[in-house]
Amino acid sequence: MALFKAKIVRGLFMMFMAISVAMPLKAQSDSITAENSSCDIIRPVMSAYTIEAGGSNLADTYLSPIKYSGWALGLRYERMQAMKFNPENWIMKLTADIHLDRTLNKVGNATMWYAGVAFEWGMTRRYSITPSLTLGYGGSASLNAGCLYTQRNGNNPASAKAALTLNLTGFAAWSLKVGSLPVTLIYQPVLPVTGIFFSPDYGELYYEIFLGNHTGLVHPAWWGNYFSLNNRLTADLHFGSTSLRIGYACNILSTKVSNITTRMVTNEAILGISGEWISLNPRKSLSKKAKIIRAAWK
Amino acid sequence: MEMKKSFLQSTLTAFFLMTVLLTGCHPIEEYENNNVGNFEALWAVIDQHYCFLDEKGVDWDAVYEKYKPQVNSTLGRQNLFIILADMLDELKDGHVNLSAPFETSYYRKWWSDYPQNFDQRIIEQYYFNFDYRSVGSVFYGWLPQGIGYIRYPSFSASLGAGNIDYILSYFSKAPALIIDIRDNGGGEVLAADDLIGRFISGRTLAGYICHKTGPGHNDFSDPNPIYIDTPKGGHLLWNKPVVVLTNRSTFSAANYFTMVMKNLPQVTVIGATTGGGCGMPFSSELPNGWGVRFSACPVYDVNGVCTEFGVEPSEGCQVDMDPVAAFYGHDTILDFAVDYLTGKVSL
Repeated sequence: MALFKAKIVRGLFMMFMAISVAMPLKAQSDSITAENSSCDIIRPVMSAYTIEAGGSNLADTYLSPIKYSGWALGLRYERMQAMKFNPENWIMKLTADIHLDRTLNKVGNATMWYAGVAFEWGMTRRYSITPSLTLGYGGSASLNAGCLYTQRNGNNPASAKAALTLNLTGFAAWSLKVGSLPVTLIYQPVLPVTGIFFSPDYGELYYEIFLGNHTGLVHPAWWGNYFSLNNRLTADLHFGSTSLRIGYACNILSTKVSNITTRMVTNEAILGISGEWISLNPRKSLSKKAKIIRAAWK
Repeated sequence: MEMKKSFLQSTLTAFFLMTVLLTGCHPIEEYENNNVGNFEALWAVIDQHYCFLDEKGVDWDAVYEKYKPQVNSTLGRQNLFIILADMLDELKDGHVNLSAPFETSYYRKWWSDYPQNFDQRIIEQYYFNFDYRSVGSVFYGWLPQGIGYIRYPSFSASLGAGNIDYILSYFSKAPALIIDIRDNGGGEVLAADDLIGRFISGRTLAGYICHKTGPGHNDFSDPNPIYIDTPKGGHLLWNKPVVVLTNRSTFSAANYFTMVMKNLPQVTVIGATTGGGCGMPFSSELPNGWGVRFSACPVYDVNGVCTEFGVEPSEGCQVDMDPVAAFYGHDTILDFAVDYLTGKVSL
């Protein structure tokens, strides 16, 4: 009975994995290429699905001068792949995540919520420092949209957040073994450098925006008025073809524009799965010289 | 190899420095959760966000000097509340409240120092003999002189477009309409707009709104126009004469309704000067969790006049309720409106 149960669990797990990688498989139908006349290049897609949970600190002076603290919960999809034009040196990263934060003021009689989504696409130039250590840097573009909400406020209950930024990104991957278990540590900081972001004016009601006054809502972002830094440190524990991903994420956003200061800081633990997926064209035989170029680890 | 090491070092150093140097920026001023801290926080909220300090000639620094000595660490919560509420009363604003778990402060003198000029029972009993129609909080009926009467006690809930259609079609044979918004303490501006939209013939300038652009007392945006449109979808409009009845307790969104309607050519405002309240309120809070509400965005009429101190009735239409007549079941403000609409009174 126990064995049967284990089979069911394994079957369900494999089904989940098959569904979850359906999109990447379809998207990388061209992943086997013959750009290099000497061999085929195979570029596996590294996908990760994670749940992130931890603490959140929110403050937005449009809503309240008081700092709020509580919990944060997020779901994240991450996809990395060596790039077609120069797979040895360049990798692509795509992420999408949704977040929900619930916080209380210090005396616990008011709640502030945050709900938001974020998308990021970027390219990283990587360097193999040693066979087990890869470092890289690059750039990305990201879109963040969300809303802070506090029920106790009458005419100013919400503060919308939206930003389109260009970012500096870093990348460090270290492959090691813990006992006999292969592990890959990956550190990925993202630092927005410039872009645009939304903010109402100091005392402007959203009603006034609704009336048609759209002036001064979009602001150019620079470190003086929009500072954000996302640090992610993860460890992929490779159990066969699928890996368990654990880690830590720290997201910092601090903005000050139109005399409105916003501070959002989350510290979260990461738990999820990651793996590499290869799609093969059944009508095309694979060369014996085919070379696999991975995105995150060698 | 040397180059790679230096790349690694400089990358890590750069991100470390970014983290350390830049995450501390954009400080938020914090106040202690004690009596003095809560006093300071409340004073600062009003100082930086309240929109009528100069309009009302309030020296907020002097208010600080007056009340700060009264606040010390030995005060209990109730006494602290009383002092803070007294400080807010200096603003003489019905839109300003301090909310604690045990009480919400409220400045009452903007209406309590004036005659009430309204008794709904008189109208229900002596003008309709309790025979009228009602929908939501609104009631309406035919006055004996063949004039339609609509009692709109609050804009907290909007009538649906269909409801308004039914009411206007019910009075389609009436030569004129009376809209009674005495004691209407306001609510949603959009609810007022929904009703105003039936008395205009197209997009109409209703007034202007400003907002604060910074913490300075004179940091205001340019006025932005407020337009009201007729309802879409073939709803009924009314272009015959209208009288709006007001008293001092006509406040906030009802004050706005009066302000806009008064500028329409077929509308006459009869009664007493309204209570004002033309600043759209914002909310904030203190370190101890008490909420505070205050006027933040001033609204002006089409001539750029601030109606925080009320909207006066149309010329020659300032009327009070006669208490003796009221004793005998007569609402002299309503009677004046009927006489005006039936031609017995000419202005």
